[in-house]
Amino acid sequence: MSKPANVVLLIDDEPKIRRFLRAGFELNGFVVLEAENAAEALKIATFSPPDLIVLDLNLPDLHGAEVLERIRAWSNVPIIILSVAAGEDDKVRLLQAGADDYVVKPFGMAELLARSEAALRRYFKSATENPVVVAGPLSVDLVTRTVSLNKTLVRLTRKEYRLLHVLAMHVGLVVTHDQLLKEIWSGNQRDNIQYLRILVRKLRQKIETDPNQPRLLITESGVGYRLQNRFDAVPVADRVS
Amino acid sequence: MAIMRPNRIELGRTGATTLREFAPHSFVRRTVVPLLLSLLSIGLVTAALLAVDVNVATMLVPLAYLIPVMLAATRWGIWPAILASVAGMAAADWFFFAPIYSFRVDDPSEAVDLLLFLIVSLVSSNLASRLRKETETLRQREQEMHALYEFSRRLAACFTIADLVAAIQRHLELAFGHPATFFVATADGHFEPSEARFAPPDVQTTAAAMNAGVGPLARTIVDERRREIWLLRAISSDGSVHGVIAINIGIGSQQTIEARTMRIEAVLDETALALQRLDIGKAMESARLHLQAQLLRDAFHGTLSHELCSPLAAIKGSASVLESVPAVREDARTRALVDAISEETAQLDGYIQNLLSATRVTAGGLSPRLEWADPRDIVNGAIKQRGRRLAAHRIETAFADELPLIHVDSGLVEEACGQILENAAKYSPSGSIIAIEVRSEPGHVVVQVCDQGVGITPDEQQKLGHRSFRSARHQTSVPGSGLGFWIATTFVQANGGTLSVQSRGAGQGTTVSISLPASASSTCELTASANE
Repeated sequence: MSKPANVVLLIDDEPKIRRFLRAGFELNGFVVLEAENAAEALKIATFSPPDLIVLDLNLPDLHGAEVLERIRAWSNVPIIILSVAAGEDDKVRLLQAGADDYVVKPFGMAELLARSEAALRRYFKSATENPVVVAGPLSVDLVTRTVSLNKTLVRLTRKEYRLLHVLAMHVGLVVTHDQLLKEIWSGNQRDNIQYLRILVRKLRQKIETDPNQPRLLITESGVGYRLQNRFDAVPVADRVS
Repeated sequence: MAIMRPNRIELGRTGATTLREFAPHSFVRRTVVPLLLSLLSIGLVTAALLAVDVNVATMLVPLAYLIPVMLAATRWGIWPAILASVAGMAAADWFFFAPIYSFRVDDPSEAVDLLLFLIVSLVSSNLASRLRKETETLRQREQEMHALYEFSRRLAACFTIADLVAAIQRHLELAFGHPATFFVATADGHFEPSEARFAPPDVQTTAAAMNAGVGPLARTIVDERRREIWLLRAISSDGSVHGVIAINIGIGSQQTIEARTMRIEAVLDETALALQRLDIGKAMESARLHLQAQLLRDAFHGTLSHELCSPLAAIKGSASVLESVPAVREDARTRALVDAISEETAQLDGYIQNLLSATRVTAGGLSPRLEWADPRDIVNGAIKQRGRRLAAHRIETAFADELPLIHVDSGLVEEACGQILENAAKYSPSGSIIAIEVRSEPGHVVVQVCDQGVGITPDEQQKLGHRSFRSARHQTSVPGSGLGFWIATTFVQANGGTLSVQSRGAGQGTTVSISLPASASSTCELTASANE
């Protein structure tokens, strides 16, 4: 493991939050930069560009969404949003504005790390890299377009594969309904979320062990879907029953 | 018997159709009928007198004819009474005073008798009819007082402008026997109530101008196209206009319209006065204050979510970092401490989220964002969200095949299901089963949560929907705020669903059923379209 450490920029006005974030990221091998307001954050992001940004929405000088837009204007750096009990509309808006994912306060460090790693992986993925995305028992080969579950080939319809493909490209990250509808139906039926729900149901029947309790294709209520790839970070709830 | 129909001024929405019966009936019923009736009663008395012995009859004559005169005066007023007096005198002269069957009177004393009868009957009929009028006025005044009292009582019970408008509409309806509109212009240029938009555009614009205090306080608008006449009257006090009453009086001959206008103007004037007297301005002010209180609650909601959630986020985050440190993870004692912190933080977070949900409801900020959702996702989401609380129970889920999609705000319904699950876990022993069944019914999807817990007594069932209700049976043994069930009910209702609770009694377990509106299209149809 000689690869250089990833640099994360933490933008949050509350020292207590920054303190545990710093500890958590440093324990996982990150180099940490901190900013307590938008002005400082924009300066650091410009002069010593980080590999990952963790951005709180409540900043004293500028709203987080504005900071997101300004950074997105010139950089593709992964950005994870921290917010307090945001509504679904806000989450969707931020994702559309270019955020890679979001975490709602209060959250556990494991959850944030999982999202961060997913975002970093997507950011650094190159053409030479292995085109196979693995999520638990499921593997999706993005080049040959083959899907296998526990090493057995799974036959998907064209639309089902398209859905899985988009999710696999963002493995571990949330993909909004809008984005999925756009990628799968390209133009027509774009507003019809009913079709998406039914397509997800069909896909789950083919890739989930128990389609009634999905563990791979996760619903993010009111926002979109996520292809889960880290099962140690799953909250206690999933270990019940 | 058409003549006897009550004389109600019928002002339907199509005023023209009811006009025909207005004037003629009123005239016949009010004037002709009483006159005919008084003549008829004189005829009856005459017939009765003719039936008895002539000598006796002559003695009774003046007194007997006073009876129909008094009757006419008290029942029908002065003119029928005068007619009865004259007719009575003529009949007495014709039938009973010599020479019979002639109006001539030979005996001077008999002439004096007749004259005396006429004078007495005229004077007493005048007195009796005046008495009648006064009694009627008194009765009417009493009715008005009663109506006003009712009105003021209703106004006092109003908390919003909409309530006020409704109360005023009701009063106008009672006064006219016909619906009238009370316009209140809101700050954004719209009208309260929204039905006001059914009035013609002319009336709306004029009402808006009058609400803004432009032009005279009383106006009449003729809508040629719809053949309607509208009367508008502004209600004002201290120089500011509080609203405009508008009433459609239909259309008809000049005379009918004038008669009707006069009557309605009188009621309008009175209502305007009453509203001023009852201090409509103050009532509206208090409605506005109510709104401000709501804004304050919104602000509280914002503060609560920030000031409480931030420290909580720091605690939970720090604990989660500690958990991952190898030295802590490997030492059982420290790990137990960190676990305790996480556990308690989760509980605190649960309480705060409840409080936030509750203020969201009372702040009136509950506007569901409806979208098509899979009921499975919602139930699974709720189970996942309450994972920690459900850890000690066996959760069994059963989903029907081919469940239709539901049209709801997933966030709200997930929270509602979560609250019900949490209650099920709270009020049933560890290790017991909580069974969740999701099935399809015509037009609905039903989520049923069934536990093996303490159950609900009939007495508790009645109070269940109230905010902060907690049964005395569990006050000490189970912690909680009593908000959960109330939040669940409110959230489900906001999504057009219903929530019902069944329990066979104490210790018999509880079954909660949440019914939600479902998609009409079958999943097969959707599948076909989705694959296109």
